[in-house]
Amino acid sequence: MQIINKVMAWARRKSPWIIHFNSGACNACDIEVLASLTPRYDIERFGIQLKGSPRHADVLICSGPVTMQQRDRIITIYEQMTEPKFVVAVGTCACSAGVFEGCYCVEGGIDTAIPVDMYVPGCPARPEAIIDGVVKLLNTIK
Amino acid sequence: MANLMSVGTAIFNILVYPGFLFLGVLSLVYEYADRIIYARLQNRVGPPWYQPVADLIKLLTKETVIPSEANNRLFRSIPTFAFAATAASFLYIPVWNNRSLLPFDGDLIVVMYFLTIPTLTFFLAGWYSSSLFAEIGGIRAMMQLFAYEVPFYMSLLGPAALAGTWSISGVSQFYREHPLLILINIPSLAVAIFSAQGKLERVPFDAPDAETEVVGGTFTEYSGRFLAMFRMMLGAEMVVVAALIAAVFSPFFIGGNAALGLFLFLIKVLAVVFLLALMRAALARFRLDQMVSFCWKVLTPVSLAQILLDLIIKGAL
Ligand code: SF4
Repeated sequence: MQIINKVMAWARRKSPWIIHFNSGACNACDIEVLASLTPRYDIERFGIQLKGSPRHADVLICSGPVTMQQRDRIITIYEQMTEPKFVVAVGTCACSAGVFEGCYCVEGGIDTAIPVDMYVPGCPARPEAIIDGVVKLLNTIK
Repeated sequence: MANLMSVGTAIFNILVYPGFLFLGVLSLVYEYADRIIYARLQNRVGPPWYQPVADLIKLLTKETVIPSEANNRLFRSIPTFAFAATAASFLYIPVWNNRSLLPFDGDLIVVMYFLTIPTLTFFLAGWYSSSLFAEIGGIRAMMQLFAYEVPFYMSLLGPAALAGTWSISGVSQFYREHPLLILINIPSLAVAIFSAQGKLERVPFDAPDAETEVVGGTFTEYSGRFLAMFRMMLGAEMVVVAALIAAVFSPFFIGGNAALGLFLFLIKVLAVVFLLALMRAALARFRLDQMVSFCWKVLTPVSLAQILLDLIIKGAL
């Protein structure tokens, strides 16, 4: 049993597939997420692949504060993902609503809608920071 | 006793070599080869060697969701059909020597039909998942089928016509005896490589699962072990198609020595996979209408001309 759990955890650490969702960011964080997917940063080294469908993904990368409009959608997408799943909040806005704090249409950071496993601050967060965040998150899987 | 032995051999052939297990291992190895070649062509390091295994184990241990709208029984059984058809076609392809496990005159046609089944299952999988994206992906897969299938078949029929046999083992035997005649078939080889990309739904013909357009395409609703099954099947299909192209178009065979023959087989398949990965790295996605007109206006005439040429040469020989 022990060894099966070890192998499972190893496979999860080595093969995180991500899906990217913008819940109301100013688009700068999205561009940085896209930049980190380019061959220059080569995240396939860690086994990371971008997937289109939430059913295939293990890690949900969210950028931006949760707006009232996007709240239902982010919850739907989170629920469509299959267990085990992880959420990474990219950017100051995603961590705490940042500069949009108190805006009439903003509810707050990502953690007001869904549970978050890793926060990557920065306005916008650099690709290195995003990759660092995801890899650190993976290393917590035991 | 002899009866029992032959049953045992048959079971061994189906389950281990050259059946499920051998094909499964090959599909993982060549998936890795494809990914690392693609990565090196993009000037990056690429995934570590255990990547396909990690992906497989992860998918097998993930939760599997079956949408309540989907047809439960078909949703579950379609991946098995796809894999079974691919594995069955591998039995007719020569591996370590130039004779397959069960050769008979006409197995070239049978293999082509077997290789059509996966595409049909993609359509059914998309249709029965009752998701809009999956349905569009399935319809696109079907539409591509009508475009690449004809040139793919005809590109293999040209060399077979020259060899004068419909059996894959017979074709490779013929080209082993007349290695120079293979040079005539080079246009056909190009057509086969191009249309194989359509069959495998890879760039530039990956409109059915273009993630920027239709989310996950046919497989949008698939998760967990069913997705793992489909991915294994895609890897196996790549191996089967590459082995088929290698068997029909390459004259290099060494009879007798099994280890050397197997090594040669792996190298030949690797060469075809390299060409496929090169195309994937060099080209961008075709629109569906561009793809259909390319297949019908360029690839089909070329392979028709090839068949004509082969028949003329056969007459002259
Ligand atoms: S953190 Fe900065 S860059 Fe990112 S979405 Fe917020 S304001 Fe834009």
